Amino acid sequence: MKRKVFLFAMLALVLVASLTATLATAQAPGVDPAATKILKRMTDYVGSLKQFSVHTQNTLEDLLDSGQRVDLEVSADVIISRPNKLRAERKGDVISQIFYYNGKTLTLYNPSDKVYATEAAPGTIELTLDFAREKLGLTVPVADLVYRNAFPLLMQDVTFAKVVGKAVIGGVKCEHLLFSRPGVDFQVWVADAGKPLPYKYVVTDTGIPGRLSITTVMSNWNVAPAVDDARFNFVPPQGVKKISFMPVK
Amino acid sequence: MKTMLKISVIAISLAFMLLADVPFLPIKLVPEAQAIFGVRRRTAVVAYSAGAASGEAKAAASQQQAAAAQQQAAAAATPAPPAAAAGQPLPVGTVVSALPKGCVSTPVGGVEYYYCGGNFYRAVFQGNQLVYVTAQPK
Repeated sequence: MKRKVFLFAMLALVLVASLTATLATAQAPGVDPAATKILKRMTDYVGSLKQFSVHTQNTLEDLLDSGQRVDLEVSADVIISRPNKLRAERKGDVISQIFYYNGKTLTLYNPSDKVYATEAAPGTIELTLDFAREKLGLTVPVADLVYRNAFPLLMQDVTFAKVVGKAVIGGVKCEHLLFSRPGVDFQVWVADAGKPLPYKYVVTDTGIPGRLSITTVMSNWNVAPAVDDARFNFVPPQGVKKISFMPVK
Repeated sequence: MKTMLKISVIAISLAFMLLADVPFLPIKLVPEAQAIFGVRRRTAVVAYSAGAASGEAKAAASQQQAAAAQQQAAAAATPAPPAAAAGQPLPVGTVVSALPKGCVSTPVGGVEYYYCGGNFYRAVFQGNQLVYVTAQPK
């Protein structure tokens, strides 16, 4: 009797464990492990950085009512000091804005509109980004790089992965990766020598006939930037007015 | 016997706990992965929480007369400014992406209001976007 129960327990364990393993590695045959390996090397490396700064140039493809495609450009400079400091400055025709997080408060500042808003914030970058998104509806450039679990987030529902080849982005030789999941294709270019940093990222919405993309080109990676506190603290300049955030409903 | 039962229960529950770790991630995590570098598409696929970028794009579009198509998500998040019906008071809490023409700055109790067309507006951040909401000065 004892033996039977034991056997049953072992069988159940093996069954469920193998099911778990199958689900965990459930990847369509189109997924090339070489591609996911490079992606993981990149996300692990960026996730391990204590500090970094990067310049990004973002292109949002859009459609005019009259049918023509038009690109909207936003550049963003981001500096991060883990675990609890972040500054992101966006400049462009659609937005001009600086986000500050100093470990205690987060501030959003529109220099050209001369307004800012401040809120008490949680104690880490990750919690603050969650808070900003869920409670205030804010997005922060490169937010997802900061999350330590970027890899599973990116790989979720991926049905296709491929190493397209090699390309040079901003003078850096990169591996060109292509991934696909229902509704979305994304491409990442990761440096293939030295630090495995991303240099370009393209997300294409395949769920619409226009197949519009967002393209981000990254440059000026610095994994040892100056991170003096003053860069993360907002001091309102003369004449700048304090406003509030509209809570997310 | 009891020990074995215990072991089996623990084994099975452990297995199920592992199962829970399999990335059946909540859908809300999807946009982070996709909108990685700080910009978000306005479509439902990428911008689950169709927030900032779509709003930003929309604001820019209206500013530049470059009205963007396929912005249902953004439209839902930020109602389009009501047609310039001067002199018609709007319900309190109406959000517009730009102040109507001719608004006059009117500070009340330390808060900056803008008065025009029978309405008081107050600047607020709705997500990353600066908008104006009709309010009753206190």
